[in-house]
Amino acid sequence: MTGELHMLVCLKVVPKSEEVGVDRATNTLDRGNARSEINPPDMNALEAALALKDRYGGRVSLLSMGPPFVVPMLRVGLAMGADAAYLLSDRAFGGADTLATSLTLASAIRKIGDIDLVLCGEESSDGATAQVPPGIAAWLGIPQVTYAMDIELERGHILVTREIRGGEEVLDAPLPAVVSVKVSCNQPRFMDVEGMAGLDRDGTVTTWTAADLDVDVNHIGLAGSPTSVAGLREALQTVGRRREVVTGTPEQEAHILYERISEFVRSSSPRTQETST
Amino acid sequence: MTALVDRPATAANVILLDDDRWDRVLAATHGEAAACYQCGTCTATCPWGLVAGPSIGVRSVIREAQLGIDGWAEAVWRCTTCGACEARCPHQVPIGEVMLGLRGLAWRERTAPGELSSVLWDMHWDGNPWGRPPSTRSAWAAGLDIPRFDPGIHTTLLYIGCTASYDRRAQKVARAVVGLMRAGGVPFGTLGDDEPCCGDPARSLGNDAYFERIAAANAAQFKVAGVTDIVTVSPHCYDTFSSHYGAAGDQFQVRHYSQLARDLIAEGKLTFSGLEATSATFHDPCYLARHHDETEAPRAMLAAIPGLELAEMERSRSETLCCGGGGGRMWMETPADERFATARAREAAATGAAYLVTTCPHCISCLEDGVSVAGARDLKVIDLAELAMLAGCVSAPTTSPEASHD
Amino acid sequence: MIDPAYSPQAASGIWVFLEQDGNVLAPVSLELLGKARELSRQSGAELTGLLAGHNLDELAGRAASLDLDRVVYVSHPLLERFTAEAYAHATAEVILQQRPDIFLLGATPYGRDLAGRLAVMLRTGLTADCTDLALDPESGLLLGEVSGFGGGILATIKCEQHRPQMATVRPGVFAEVQSQRDTAAPVEKVEADVPASACPVAVVSRRQHAGVDVSRAERLVIAGAGVRGDMGTVEALARALDAEIGATRVAVDEGWAGREQQIGQTGVIARPKLAVVCGASGATQFTVGIEQAGLVIALNQDPEASIFEQADLCVVDDLFPVVRALVAEFESHNGGAK
Repeated sequence: MTGELHMLVCLKVVPKSEEVGVDRATNTLDRGNARSEINPPDMNALEAALALKDRYGGRVSLLSMGPPFVVPMLRVGLAMGADAAYLLSDRAFGGADTLATSLTLASAIRKIGDIDLVLCGEESSDGATAQVPPGIAAWLGIPQVTYAMDIELERGHILVTREIRGGEEVLDAPLPAVVSVKVSCNQPRFMDVEGMAGLDRDGTVTTWTAADLDVDVNHIGLAGSPTSVAGLREALQTVGRRREVVTGTPEQEAHILYERISEFVRSSSPRTQETST
Repeated sequence: MTALVDRPATAANVILLDDDRWDRVLAATHGEAAACYQCGTCTATCPWGLVAGPSIGVRSVIREAQLGIDGWAEAVWRCTTCGACEARCPHQVPIGEVMLGLRGLAWRERTAPGELSSVLWDMHWDGNPWGRPPSTRSAWAAGLDIPRFDPGIHTTLLYIGCTASYDRRAQKVARAVVGLMRAGGVPFGTLGDDEPCCGDPARSLGNDAYFERIAAANAAQFKVAGVTDIVTVSPHCYDTFSSHYGAAGDQFQVRHYSQLARDLIAEGKLTFSGLEATSATFHDPCYLARHHDETEAPRAMLAAIPGLELAEMERSRSETLCCGGGGGRMWMETPADERFATARAREAAATGAAYLVTTCPHCISCLEDGVSVAGARDLKVIDLAELAMLAGCVSAPTTSPEASHD
Repeated sequence: MIDPAYSPQAASGIWVFLEQDGNVLAPVSLELLGKARELSRQSGAELTGLLAGHNLDELAGRAASLDLDRVVYVSHPLLERFTAEAYAHATAEVILQQRPDIFLLGATPYGRDLAGRLAVMLRTGLTADCTDLALDPESGLLLGEVSGFGGGILATIKCEQHRPQMATVRPGVFAEVQSQRDTAAPVEKVEADVPASACPVAVVSRRQHAGVDVSRAERLVIAGAGVRGDMGTVEALARALDAEIGATRVAVDEGWAGREQQIGQTGVIARPKLAVVCGASGATQFTVGIEQAGLVIALNQDPEASIFEQADLCVVDDLFPVVRALVAEFESHNGGAK
């Protein structure tokens, strides 16, 4: 790390989950009138970056890939206190899987240059792969720390508390590095009172096309994606539950539940020796 | 997150005044605290004194605001802006506005409680403080066949508000208000899923800058839609539109639905077949009784219902006891033993009335909780519009048996 | 398209990453072995377990008695503790040498961490967090089912030209492998070449939570929005039933329960014998998390709540008095169900 800390936060704009369905005629995603939002864990990543900026100084840049309608979303990030924003917008980027997406983002990060810390949300609410942050790190050849709950900075290193299966661990990584941040690990601050004025201002977001990046167009977008979608469907509701309604006073209802639970516990297989107490 | 507040160095019994901060506090509170002469009536009147846990030292907060020194911290976030203190203040200090101003300062200085940001984000992304999908905003109206507001056909925009749109309980109130307006023959429409949040949560949480943006956007939307007359379900939306939209608010007239109903009754357009002899007590919402001096419209409705006897609580009209849900408290957690609504439910139960009637979605929510905590099982919390439907002012709206209470 | 590291023609075999921690295999690895054996029976492919670490000869021996055809054990002192960089470096090396057709990992924090980095190093496709796996009957390609948009949409993903076909699989969706081999499978130990430069991240400390893994709980009491923060009532019921506590996303977002307790498409898929669901509305993303439960009891005040479509016993009532009465009933029967 040289000079001031330069952080870059990757923000993905996603359609709101509950407003997306499958078009049964074409078997493609119907994003129709779905409203968009910044992917929630990416907001936690941005809050983590701004909190580091509050403590240690430095600056925060934003990077996103998507259509031009993403610009107002990046302005929201600027209103929260970020210093610069870049949007990668080109049809050539479209249809990318995680390999092509992480390559595109890594190419832009190289072009911006001098980034000490790349922060991402743990996963996106639309794809939920969680593979882009490690992918960016692999393309850039720098360390990665995923599922971060807390980040401290210490002499050019980061100390990251991260979630692991059944617990947590603290990792020490040199900078530059990529960190993915757990959803809800912090409370994203609301837009600054002064920052909100910038929501209506043009020219605050730099837009780049594929030609602006040093990347082979055959390695990005749909063309650069080794995986493809073989089928799509809406999740089915389960059928086959009894749906028996229990009625009465609370005490009567509780009594029926008690009888049924006891009966069920007796009839299902006995618990093993180690787990019963 | 660390506070960016420069705390004055304090030794015992020494308070250092910071001119710069004084200026900021003065600006945030518009200097309104200056008139206070520290009599302490406010602190004595504050309903936080009625419940367990720390009370708000209202007088101290105002003193600190006068001097531009810290100390109020979380106390300003507990204020429900009920206005009880203002009603008694001998110098008419707008204490609630001072509290909101201090909250606004906290937003500017990034010391506002972090979890409140999520309420504002929900408003930003979803257009309502409950974080519910905007595409389901009008789902409460299923089967009612309510037309989209059209100034060529309708005199009045029925503004539902976020809580009555999304909260399952309050949705029934919205349906009852629809029944009431239809009975009265008022030509009205709604904005459907495009209805915006009035901005009250932002204002009452003290983020005036965000509120101003919402108000400006809404005023523009109403203008394009040709809205000149608004009837609201909630007193909070009524207050917001009528008192806080500045000059933009002059383009429309705003009434709470109880005021509309009172006028319809006076004009002979609304009558009730009545209830089998029963009794009710009325809980005045702060945002009608104290902020708008409106205590008679709801009572005119109650008085027009044959068979209904009104048993007043001691604290009624402008002396009403806050339910605890104002001032953004709906979005903050209140421990069970610190809820005003529990005390209020006991007061209501003591009247022996069968119904605890009110006319605000927040009051309904808090009072139902209060009745449950107080164990007042025989007391039924009901909205005035629901009671009006029960009293047979008209046939119930088309397909909804549960539009009245169940 | 980026050139594949090796072609489909050069690839063979199904590999499962045997995630281990402290000399114990992660349950998801056993789940993967069960499913992978099913796939290998269909295609006739050899089933290999890949173990990485240090001083794991004894564990490798135990793994060799599981239902697989061989174990590859990659060993190096720098693999003693998991770091994505060192593990990716060592496993990439052995994969490029032995060229598996399919490589499966658990979608655990470590599994995802490794898979995302490894897929880029191998220049191949990765299907993440699968909820089902199958082989296409015609092409023989791996089909991974993934969910998106909070679980509302299911997509099937394939990887045609690049190898290995990589997938991570969500813990809890498959049953653990039950069968064992009579004779141990062969273990091939590979001494990896891991330079210190491939291991820039250091593990400073680790801490296991005392809490229980809800995906494995036999009985669950699940808190939804309707509990309104009153976890005391939920806990009392859990004690009476000897159950663990799970939560819906709303309850977790509210901070009433930890993220590790979240049940559903975006949380944990639970398969308890008994689930008592308190005050949940029944959003699809939640109910998929209890699809596999035995007896489901739902309590909700709202008769229209969709949770009742997913329950065996439905109580339409204020949940608090019912739960309190139920707790009292269990207490009066001296612990009842225990």
